[in-house]
Amino acid sequence: MKILVPLKRVADPDNANKVKIPADGSRIETTGLEWKPNPFDEYALEAALRLTEDGKAPKVRAGEVVVVTFGPAETDTTLRAALATGADRAIRVECKDEELDGLVVARALAKLVETEKPDLVLLGKQAVDGDTNQVGQILAELLDWPMATFAATIREEAGGLLVGREVDGGVYSVRVKFPAVVTGDLRIVNAQSVYSLKTDKAFKYADGVRFAALPAIMQARKKPLLVKKLAELAAGAPVARYLKYEAPPQRKAGIKVKDVDELVSRLKNEAKVL
Amino acid sequence: MSSQPQNRYKADLRDLHFVLFEQFRLGEVLGKAPYDAWGEEEVKLTLGEVHRFATEVTGPLNGVGDREGCRLDNGVVVTPKGFKEAWQRLYESGFKSLGVSPEFGGQGAPRALSVLAGELAAGSNVAFDMYPGLTVGAAELIEAFGTHEQRDKYCGKMFGGQWAGTMCLTEPQAGSDVGAATSFARKNADGTYSITGTKLFISGGDQDITDNIIHMVLARTEGAPKGTKGLSLFIVPKRRILADGSAGASNDVKTVSLEHKMGIKGSSTVLLQFGDDGQCIGELCGGEELQGIRQMFRMMNYARIGVGLQGLGIASAAYLSALEYARDRQQGSSAKEWKNPDAPRVAIIEHANVRRMLLWMKAQVEGIRALIVKSAIHLDQAAVLAGKDDKTALYHQGQVELLTPLIKAYASDMAFQVSEAAIQVMGGVGYTQDYPVEQHCRDAKIFSIYEGTNGIQALDLVARKLGQAGGANTQRFLGDLAKFVAEHGSHPVLGPSVQNLGKAQEALGGSVMQFLQWAQVGEIDRVQLQANRFLTMMSELTVGWLLCDAAVIAVDKQKALPEGDPDRLFYEGKKQAAIFFASQVVPGIVGAAKMIATGDRSAIDIPTAAFATV
Ligand SMILES: Cc1cc2nc3c(=O)[nH]c(=O)nc-3n(C[C@H](O)[C@H](O)[C@H](O)COP(=O)(O)OP(=O)(O)OC[C@H]3O[C@@H](n4cnc5c(N)ncnc54)[C@H](O)[C@@H]3O)c2cc1C
Repeated sequence: MKILVPLKRVADPDNANKVKIPADGSRIETTGLEWKPNPFDEYALEAALRLTEDGKAPKVRAGEVVVVTFGPAETDTTLRAALATGADRAIRVECKDEELDGLVVARALAKLVETEKPDLVLLGKQAVDGDTNQVGQILAELLDWPMATFAATIREEAGGLLVGREVDGGVYSVRVKFPAVVTGDLRIVNAQSVYSLKTDKAFKYADGVRFAALPAIMQARKKPLLVKKLAELAAGAPVARYLKYEAPPQRKAGIKVKDVDELVSRLKNEAKVL
Repeated sequence: MSSQPQNRYKADLRDLHFVLFEQFRLGEVLGKAPYDAWGEEEVKLTLGEVHRFATEVTGPLNGVGDREGCRLDNGVVVTPKGFKEAWQRLYESGFKSLGVSPEFGGQGAPRALSVLAGELAAGSNVAFDMYPGLTVGAAELIEAFGTHEQRDKYCGKMFGGQWAGTMCLTEPQAGSDVGAATSFARKNADGTYSITGTKLFISGGDQDITDNIIHMVLARTEGAPKGTKGLSLFIVPKRRILADGSAGASNDVKTVSLEHKMGIKGSSTVLLQFGDDGQCIGELCGGEELQGIRQMFRMMNYARIGVGLQGLGIASAAYLSALEYARDRQQGSSAKEWKNPDAPRVAIIEHANVRRMLLWMKAQVEGIRALIVKSAIHLDQAAVLAGKDDKTALYHQGQVELLTPLIKAYASDMAFQVSEAAIQVMGGVGYTQDYPVEQHCRDAKIFSIYEGTNGIQALDLVARKLGQAGGANTQRFLGDLAKFVAEHGSHPVLGPSVQNLGKAQEALGGSVMQFLQWAQVGEIDRVQLQANRFLTMMSELTVGWLLCDAAVIAVDKQKALPEGDPDRLFYEGKKQAAIFFASQVVPGIVGAAKMIATGDRSAIDIPTAAFATV
């Protein structure tokens, strides 16, 4: 199986307070920010690696995972980390952050799919910076491929996947035939969430995203990293323009209520939610 | 995931990067043999992954290990839940073979990277880290001194985590005085040795993690001279090794008892009985008898720096825990509002006394980190220059020799003091098991005792290291410091701090002269009486120097950043920590030198019977 996994770097979510908007609201200040891979994208990569190996012998690859990111040269770091974790090849689409939005990225990915011809595009369900949750869906539409979003479990079957989707109150199973688009949710990295055809169903992974093993870190530099131009992939696509940024209003301090009656009355009369 | 224990460990990766790349310019050795495979990207990726391992795997087990401890079940040690799995994951990840040579599957990383990876490993779970830590140490002994056959037989399996290793020096009557060991090795006709004896306090002496344990045992051969000169080093497996390299029947090494300790409870400390039934077979490490102490000594520097790292890891963890709590805990109001009973509550970090404790902790932690990385960079430079510029390489090696007792003793003393201060900062909750700092404090106490007590380190410093190479190492060290003082004594921000270093250096030099004088007239006991104090003085001076050195860099870097860049705060912290240490700690060195100069010898003069008449 060949899988394409798009990765995005985001401002370190553990240091979200460092994200600042200048007084004129013209942009988000990015100097001095620490970048981390978007956690959901790391989960997607983990799931993709599990689908292309036998869990018992993960050093032998049984498929190909190609990671792709959009950004300036410094985003190579994000790709190298993915290569160190186990991805086989990387592509960076050279561009500036301002040139991107969900639609542009989806169009460029659709174009990449034409040449890469993956069986599956596996994405994080959303990036934790803009939280837009749309690239996977737009991409499936552009490609006219079957799609399963918010995957909590994935099982490989002959010619397709059985995907357990997170829905309110449970997990909803769908079958998709290759080629397909899948977006992953939090639980996709649990110990028994993803099985390739090769991996024994009794096998348990360690919870979470695997570590980049030291020998693999040292090999990452030797793995292929291809650079493409955004203009070649998404020529003439319109980009959303942001008019103004503002921080969300500060949360007001809470209050203590005497009893349930007061709570109900306040919810009804002040908050007007009942 | 939810049923799993919570991680409490936190590390300051920003400072780790600063010390490596900005202060000690690791970039200068990267890409050069023997570190040609290493670039900045690999170093940062590695630290990032080791950090993740520390917070996701070993960190969550730290409290578990402390509460569960080890137990002895039918002569076999049972380690805390999760240790075995953590060991497996550690060796899958390859992080423990960072510094191991490529010959044995390692990555031959620069020491400066290995030590900071060591900080993260020890800081997240020092008890767990003892098992792989000693295993690496034991394997390095065989790598350095074993025969070809022994290297083939043991090193790969030990570096790879299939087998563990221990160091067996201590015996009931031979603690600090290693030369008093009486374990005996009788040569057999086939060239092997039959080992008999008792080894006490052996870390990792038994466990249920690996299927074999390779004990490195100091013992006496037939007719060996008295003292350390009569010791030879033996490789003694727990289970006999079969022809195919797998572990076979018992080798007559019995775990007699397990210590119940103040801290590092997840690390087993046992009494081992070798050859009770006359069936314990060992191999001489290398081809020659009576080389044991020399071989051990070669490895001692690394082991002692390793203990310093344990101290750094715990001190940093305790500091960051206390800091997090102090930013959050509301108590009292601002001192400026002392007249106003309705003044808003403030976080305890707003109180001057709490800030003082926290800044003291920060300065100690970051200064000790710089001290350890300094010595590691000296080793890396020595490795890069070897064969190209042996004279300079020798200078670097000499600095490591000199700094090692400071690292071992000062970092371990401060680990205990910093974690004690962490408890104090947090008040009552710091004393409870709801927070990790009381465990840090208990865990840290052992660091000043094992691997040569800090009393022994101080003697090593004054009696051996100061005068080593005809005093050249010390002179070069003081010369480097004097150069820094001359260069930055009128620095616009740090000038007064740097001048304090100059005064302290002069005072320290005075104490050295005083020691020489006493030594010349045979009053060695006066020197010994003051050795610990001197070690602390020299450590504080070095830490003060390295903090000021960092601050000089930080002031420049801060200036170059635009207003509002979050990294400006990081540099501000470096600057303030240096100023604090230079004005609140360094001047004490001058006072301490005065105390030495008085020549007070009451602790010697007091009759032993007069300490108490009960
Ligand atoms: C948890 C733990 C783990 C350990 N792990 C190991 C291990 O893996 N392998 C191993 O071989 N050993 C190990 N040890 C033993 C440890 O190295 C010794 O405890 C240590 O060397 C001190 O020896 P001692 O306890 O006999 O103390 P002593 O030697 O009796 O010392 C007691 C005091 O006297 C002082 N003193 C002794 N001699 C002198 C002197 N000549 N001059 C000045 N002061 C002196 C010491 O500084 C100390 O303050 C471990 C100990 C513990 C507690």
